[in-house]
Amino acid sequence: MSRRTFPQREERHDDTLAFICRFTDRRTGGPYAPRGRHAIFRLKLAPLSATLLLAGCSGPHNWLSGAGREAMRIEALFWPLLIGAGLIWTAVMTLAVVAYRTAEKGGTERQVRAYVVWGGVVFPAVVLTGLLATGLLTLRGIAAQPAAHTVAVDGEQWWWRVRYEGPEGPVVSANEIRLPRGETVRFELTSDDVIHSFWAPAIGGKMDLIPGRTTQLTLTPEKTGSWGGICAEFCGSAHAQMLFRLVVMEPEAYARWLADEARPAQATGPGLEVFLDEGCGACHSIRGTKAQGPVGPDLTHFAGRETLGAGIRPVSRTALRNWIRYPEAIKPGVRMPGYPDMPDARLDRLVDYLMALK
Amino acid sequence: MTAFQDLPPPPDYDEARDRAQRERLMAVWHTPTGWRKFSAVNNEIVGRWYALTAFGFFVFAGILALMIRTQLAVPDNDFLSMELYNQVFTMHGTVMMFLFAVPIFEAVAIMVLPEILGARDLPFPRLSAFGFWCFLIGGVFVCGSILFGAAPAGGWFMYTPLSSDPEQTGIGTDIWLLGLSFIEVASIAAAVELIVGVLKSRPPGMRLNLMPLYCWYVLVVGGMILFAFPPLIAGDLLLEMERAFDWAFFDTERGGDPLLWQHLFWIFGHPEVYIIFLPSVALVATILPTFARRPMVGYSWIVLSAVGIAFLSFGLWVHHMFTTGLPNISLSFFSAASEAVALPTGIQIFCFLATLLMGRSVGSVPMLFTGGALAIFVFGGLTGVMVALVPFDWQAHDSYFVVAHLHYTLIGGMLFPLMAGIWYWYPFATDKTMSERLGRWSFWMMFAGFNIAFLPMHWTGVMGMPRRIWTYAADTGWGPINMVSTVGAFLFAAGFAVFAWDVLRPKRNQPPTRRNPWDAGTMEWAKEVPDKPWGCRSIPLITTRYPLWEQEDIVGQIDRGEWFLPDAQEGKREMIVTDILDGRPIFVQRVSGPTYKTLLAAMFLGACFILATFKLWLAAVLCGAGFTATILWWLWTATARIPEKEEKDCGRGLRLPVYMSGNASVGWWAMFITMVGDMTAFFGLVFAYFFFWTVHPEFPPEGTRSPAFSWLTLGMVLLVAAWVLVAGARRWNGQAKTGRARAALALAGLPALSGLGALAQACLVSGLDPTRHAFDATCWVLVLWLGAHLLAGFVMLGYCVARSWAGILTPRYDADLRNSALYWDFMLATSLLVYALLALFPLLSEGGVA
Amino acid sequence: MRYPRLIDDRSIWIMVAPSVIWAAHFLLCYWIAAIWCAKEAADGSAPLQPVTWTVAGVTLVALGLIWALARHAWGRYGGSLFITRTIADDRAQERKHFLGHVALLLCALHTLAVIFTALPVLVFDRCW
Repeated sequence: MSRRTFPQREERHDDTLAFICRFTDRRTGGPYAPRGRHAIFRLKLAPLSATLLLAGCSGPHNWLSGAGREAMRIEALFWPLLIGAGLIWTAVMTLAVVAYRTAEKGGTERQVRAYVVWGGVVFPAVVLTGLLATGLLTLRGIAAQPAAHTVAVDGEQWWWRVRYEGPEGPVVSANEIRLPRGETVRFELTSDDVIHSFWAPAIGGKMDLIPGRTTQLTLTPEKTGSWGGICAEFCGSAHAQMLFRLVVMEPEAYARWLADEARPAQATGPGLEVFLDEGCGACHSIRGTKAQGPVGPDLTHFAGRETLGAGIRPVSRTALRNWIRYPEAIKPGVRMPGYPDMPDARLDRLVDYLMALK
Repeated sequence: MTAFQDLPPPPDYDEARDRAQRERLMAVWHTPTGWRKFSAVNNEIVGRWYALTAFGFFVFAGILALMIRTQLAVPDNDFLSMELYNQVFTMHGTVMMFLFAVPIFEAVAIMVLPEILGARDLPFPRLSAFGFWCFLIGGVFVCGSILFGAAPAGGWFMYTPLSSDPEQTGIGTDIWLLGLSFIEVASIAAAVELIVGVLKSRPPGMRLNLMPLYCWYVLVVGGMILFAFPPLIAGDLLLEMERAFDWAFFDTERGGDPLLWQHLFWIFGHPEVYIIFLPSVALVATILPTFARRPMVGYSWIVLSAVGIAFLSFGLWVHHMFTTGLPNISLSFFSAASEAVALPTGIQIFCFLATLLMGRSVGSVPMLFTGGALAIFVFGGLTGVMVALVPFDWQAHDSYFVVAHLHYTLIGGMLFPLMAGIWYWYPFATDKTMSERLGRWSFWMMFAGFNIAFLPMHWTGVMGMPRRIWTYAADTGWGPINMVSTVGAFLFAAGFAVFAWDVLRPKRNQPPTRRNPWDAGTMEWAKEVPDKPWGCRSIPLITTRYPLWEQEDIVGQIDRGEWFLPDAQEGKREMIVTDILDGRPIFVQRVSGPTYKTLLAAMFLGACFILATFKLWLAAVLCGAGFTATILWWLWTATARIPEKEEKDCGRGLRLPVYMSGNASVGWWAMFITMVGDMTAFFGLVFAYFFFWTVHPEFPPEGTRSPAFSWLTLGMVLLVAAWVLVAGARRWNGQAKTGRARAALALAGLPALSGLGALAQACLVSGLDPTRHAFDATCWVLVLWLGAHLLAGFVMLGYCVARSWAGILTPRYDADLRNSALYWDFMLATSLLVYALLALFPLLSEGGVA
Repeated sequence: MRYPRLIDDRSIWIMVAPSVIWAAHFLLCYWIAAIWCAKEAADGSAPLQPVTWTVAGVTLVALGLIWALARHAWGRYGGSLFITRTIADDRAQERKHFLGHVALLLCALHTLAVIFTALPVLVFDRCW
């Protein structure tokens, strides 16, 4: 599938106005920064230039990371707005100081007319009309574009159920969404419990998941890498820890991954018995086994993901052990019960098995 | 052209007469002392209590804010637990909005409005006191819940279905709903009083174009409260009905819709922002001319801005719902209105600047705070224009960018002007001044602290930090910038502490200020030092916008008692009621004095709401009955008393009647305005009906019958009959056919209650079950609403009959009956709308779109 | 002695009338679009033309009404757009000027606000 041509105008805009961020983005990096060509360069300079402001233009959740077409369109609004706001603020404050300082002689009626008519009426009217028109046109540009793929995302308290329509049938996953670079994806967003909001700031804007409705959001990732995703609408106790990863891959790699993902679980071993014995299958599904629980995240390819606990810990043996033992300590409010009394040997077998679910 | 051209000259000054008059005034307006002070109703006392209480809640919510900032200062912090944090941020928003921002407007207005108008008091002093006690009881109840770990934890917008499902959120949500409904009722009561105050309690001669700008703002904001709060009360009713009785309004399984709450909440919530903002602009509009040493430039342009903002701000509510997947075309209408509202706001600011330009400004602490407010608010306004663009909001919404934006608008638009106002009116309220040095310290600390805390927060939002999270991981990169915000927040708090100390520190050794210490032009500074409880010694004729500047020796004339009502011969608290347009005196209103009944009524009502929170229904109903009884007792003993004489000499040859009924009286206007607010709440329910009709392909859903047409029609006929009887009673009473009037009043309850029964029967025979589907629940809630109102109307009829029997309600003195008849006019309108919705609309839509 | 009051005099209504027209126009536009998008174009596919034309019509009516009000405020009330005239005399005539003045300003503001409200239908041809 070919990459859509990116509008020329936007590209230029991106270059001129967002250069600060492009610049800092290359230099500051960070653990989740997009993997680009300048990795070595970045590593050397990172500690030197990572001041507060510069750090503000990078990172996995940054609007200005330029990782998605929609984010870039909004960024193209953001910079002129920010600079314009700065200029207007300075102008108003200057006028205020001038007005205050004319104390001795007092102003004339002509000046008053100039203040109120030009400053209070004409200038705002023109600027606001222009802004409104720009905002509406941008909205038309980024809303409901034709999409090459559809991903269904279902918000749960407090994790994300993800369904792809792969060529080999539906694929169910959780808390991690993989997308092909340069292709427009439509998200169909639903929820069965409360309102959540799906937000991957680096790629584009957010959309709420509302019980009883299906809302839609289209995003077009433009940079490969692992980006942060967030639930933006307060959804109860563990809202703060309802995160996800959004991994953007080259289209060929994505196709391979999706085909792999459609296969049932590959791992076997004594851990599966532990999994079933402990009743994990009542909530979790592992395709190809007896575990078909519909309540919690699907674990068929669990170890292929970057994070566990809905985006809050990198997947590792230690993290997984802790999670199974004390999920409440890591994510207060979580619905999964802990297994603090599980014997070490049994837990090891379980972790071995889960870590093999690639 | 004035009505006062040929006023006789004042009598020559006579010291003995002056002393006697002052003594009589003092005896009448004297504020009780000691424990009895709690029975006081005088606007200055109640206003002071109100303001101190609101500031108490502000400090409470500020401490919560510091707890939030401490928790967020570093990643993975464990200063607060998740449960506590969720309660803390919910309470911070709730308390700041409901217990500080709106009440402080009412507090300040109750305190200064009568004085600015040169009136003795507000028209309903006991209502102010009642409102204050409700506010105190409700506020303590809501705030106290956090000490028991039972505070609401759903965010201050309480989104459904998180809040509508009792399994998701516990008693905290009920506390929020009932506690705040209780306070909202008090807010509406205060708004009614302030509107009537501005419209009818102006001094003689004060035409609309001479009204101080402060009063214009109070009028506009009062009107906004009247239309903005009721939809939330309707929403609260629906939400509590779902929580307590499982009625289906927000549950999607049963045809409900969570977005209905968002609509009702934000129809309240956005105007609310301007309800908070405009009163502070009013303070600036009052302070600025004083220190610019000239009248405000563009007076009428500022009035235009206030009225324009009041209306436009009701077209913004969906901009809080830009990410809910509504059609883009719908979002765009609201984006357009959100941009448009910036216009009048800008005009206002430039009129202020033009005033500075034309004037010879003198520096002062209030001007410092005003300048800080301008710097902060303009920036908040500019980011507001940004988030009003839908695509930009898709990023900014619910992120820290919005948190920063809203604090810029609220602290710049509300808190800083309020500080200026407190500094400015401190001598007015206490006869002492605050310290210039501490004022500058507190300003700079607050200004610097605020910007250090909130300017970086925009960037925290850009870095993707969502609001309402109690923890975040270090690898997000949000740590350092949050630490900066926290440091700023503590500096800000320290600045406020300096201010608070300056307000509260004992100033016994300080000599009293001189009169009118700022050389201001508005009437409140005509007050004497030391303060007198009666407000104005005599109520002057006002012919200018800044009487103290433009009317020669007005203070001396007031003091010598040369103007109206210089005396209280009859030993009654009296004030002049004027007409709306030109401030022509209509009659002398006798207002009521100190009482404990207001406190008792507030305690009963508070207990009723609090007991309902704990589902102790029987006790709640008993307290409700106690409340009704207290109110009746209060009204019976204090209002619409038959005067001892028809007319009274007010001085300078002005003779005015001492009793008026109908639309000349303040009571009639209060009823009218209250019922407009009441109808707005009812329209909230009508909105719910149409909302469901819009989102459902079939409404009523398949298999559900509409309420039975025949029963509805019967009910309607009976309700119209009841109204005819009430209207007839008013007419017959006026024609001195007292017996016939009494019979009609006594009988009117019969068709009213049986009409209500017929409406309920219409729902019953169609098998409507409010727990089954949103349609059933909506039909029932409409009937319930009407029923509750009919019962109240029934009580009024009984009250009128009793007053008539007791000889207090006569053909000449018929204020109670006229006010009750006005209520029934509104009942007729409500009944007709219920009928149209339940009986006629289904006929229409069956053949129409659906 | 009867004093002219709000209801009798009919003067003050002109101050809120332009705003009421804006509010009615705004709500009509919103409702028309919301009902159309919910009932006829629930899948987002149906064209928006009927809404466009209706909104255009409603907008013209609203602008016409505001224009009529402005003429009224100008002519009958003697309103004007001056900034520096204070309109602070103690005469009934002056109060009338003041009302006309504010009404005229509100007409100007709401003309712009009505046009703002109508802009979206020029941009969108579908609900979503």
